[in-house]
Amino acid sequence: MGQSDPKGGSHTRTPLQRFQLTVKFKPIGLIPFFGFVGLFLVWPAISLFRLAIQPTKDSDISAMREAITGDYLDSFIYTIKLSVLTALLGVLLGSLLAASVLRIERPKWFRNFMTSFAGVAANLGGIPLAFAFIAALGTQGLITKMIDYFGVNLSDAGFRISNFAGITIVYLYFQIPLMFLIMVPAFNGLRASWSEAAASLGAAPWQYWRYVGLPLLTPALLGGFLLLFSNAFSAYATAYALSSGGARLVPVQIRFFLQGNTITGKDNLGYALAAWMIIIMLITMTGYLFVRRRAEKWQQ
Amino acid sequence: MKFLGKIWSRLYIAIAIVFFVAPLLSMARFAFQRIPMISLGKDNLFKRWTIDGLLTTLRDPEFLHSLSVSLKVAFFTVLVILFLMVPTTLWVHLSAPRWRGVVETVTILPYVVPPIALVVGVSGTYRSIAPWFLASNYSLVPFYAILAMPFTFRSLDVGIKALDLRTLVDAAKSLGASSGRVMWNILLPNLRTSLINAAFLTFTVVLGEFTIASLLLKRTLPMYMAQAQGSEPQGALGLGLLILVLTTILFTLVSIIRKKDSTSINVKNINVGMVP
Repeated sequence: MGQSDPKGGSHTRTPLQRFQLTVKFKPIGLIPFFGFVGLFLVWPAISLFRLAIQPTKDSDISAMREAITGDYLDSFIYTIKLSVLTALLGVLLGSLLAASVLRIERPKWFRNFMTSFAGVAANLGGIPLAFAFIAALGTQGLITKMIDYFGVNLSDAGFRISNFAGITIVYLYFQIPLMFLIMVPAFNGLRASWSEAAASLGAAPWQYWRYVGLPLLTPALLGGFLLLFSNAFSAYATAYALSSGGARLVPVQIRFFLQGNTITGKDNLGYALAAWMIIIMLITMTGYLFVRRRAEKWQQ
Repeated sequence: MKFLGKIWSRLYIAIAIVFFVAPLLSMARFAFQRIPMISLGKDNLFKRWTIDGLLTTLRDPEFLHSLSVSLKVAFFTVLVILFLMVPTTLWVHLSAPRWRGVVETVTILPYVVPPIALVVGVSGTYRSIAPWFLASNYSLVPFYAILAMPFTFRSLDVGIKALDLRTLVDAAKSLGASSGRVMWNILLPNLRTSLINAAFLTFTVVLGEFTIASLLLKRTLPMYMAQAQGSEPQGALGLGLLILVLTTILFTLVSIIRKKDSTSINVKNINVGMVP
């Protein structure tokens, strides 16, 4: 039949035998994949650490140490605070939104519409999102003006779209829909028969939620929190555009060092800040994978 | 979900919709109404609406250039990621199922290295050994392919799991089909939903990516928008809104396609596009 089988090049073997033959060389087909990831992701990431621990010219302590002292430590704390706050609010408000939308049974298209919209909003970010919020809540924003009409001056109250409260509100625009998308299937996974069983055994609604519903939703809530945290922690474009590059967030700070023309001899600090970001993300994503594995075991 | 009263859930949804729509409306007003905020009042709310700002921007040669850069990079990124991930995912399922966990974990690595950290590492390595590489606009392609890897793998993995892959391949081969024919006539058509899903998502992610492009100083569409915000703010915001609308249409198309084929996304396989 003239097969050209790249895996073994055989003419008479059955497909099963051919498959067994390939088993011996099974990682071969994955070489392009691992090579690509190695070249364009792992190597740059590892070099980052190598550059970060190199001794700096005019400093006794390594850049890795310096990146978690003084102002740099402050920006890490600022960024982590922002990420935790937007993740917590996102988990709470996103779950509530999912529960509310699932509560509405008619019209039927509404649920699909909300899911599609959440899909768009969760992926929204970057420059257009920053533009939208500058137009809404900036000093000359439409909503700012409307609130002012009712006698509350946001500017006088200390609110800026580029400060902590401002960035928090903007990030919620993608955090809430992301949590919504995580929670809709999780809520749907709760079978009606479970709450009926609990009720027939005499459990009050709060007891059902406390002892059945919430424990079952815990992996989704926890996993969602970690995902939202990493989402906020690694975001750059929105914060950059909101603050014209002046935000105290770590990702925005790194930019100074990469351009290399602001503080001479401190390039390594940029690498060190990025290295610390990777460490924090590594912890977060390991936690996320752990929660997900547990959840998958549960479902089987 | 019965723990919320019907009225409360409706009220909450209404508030949420206001939160999500108000910024978009404000953006539209800023982009398309030629009245400064200070003099806006009840009497001139519906006056002087125009799309001139957007039109000026759309005719700007700088814009056209950035659009063409972004579209080319997006096109090649889709090609690269599919050429890389389709054979890899098929191979994992056919020949190396034990490696599935390893490959899946590796595809999540881009979440561990945020774009800002990746681009710092890239400039720390490639700038000294291959400056010609970073000088080209196409140097963005492999890094964008890395960003697209998590959801591309997930999408293909879900699609392949829904097929009886081994039976399909063995049946086709025992009927005498070559490997290329199996791939082209059997596997790719069966995976079209996954492929389209991954391709569209990659396309939108690339068109919106700002971090890597801005630090490698590439004149892509988001870079153009960020710069135009200073010189031609109305046009820049109009363009931002236009891109939001087009993205929404793309996403809606994807979800329609996804619904027609029934490889639905469940909680394990939630298609999370991380925001760059």
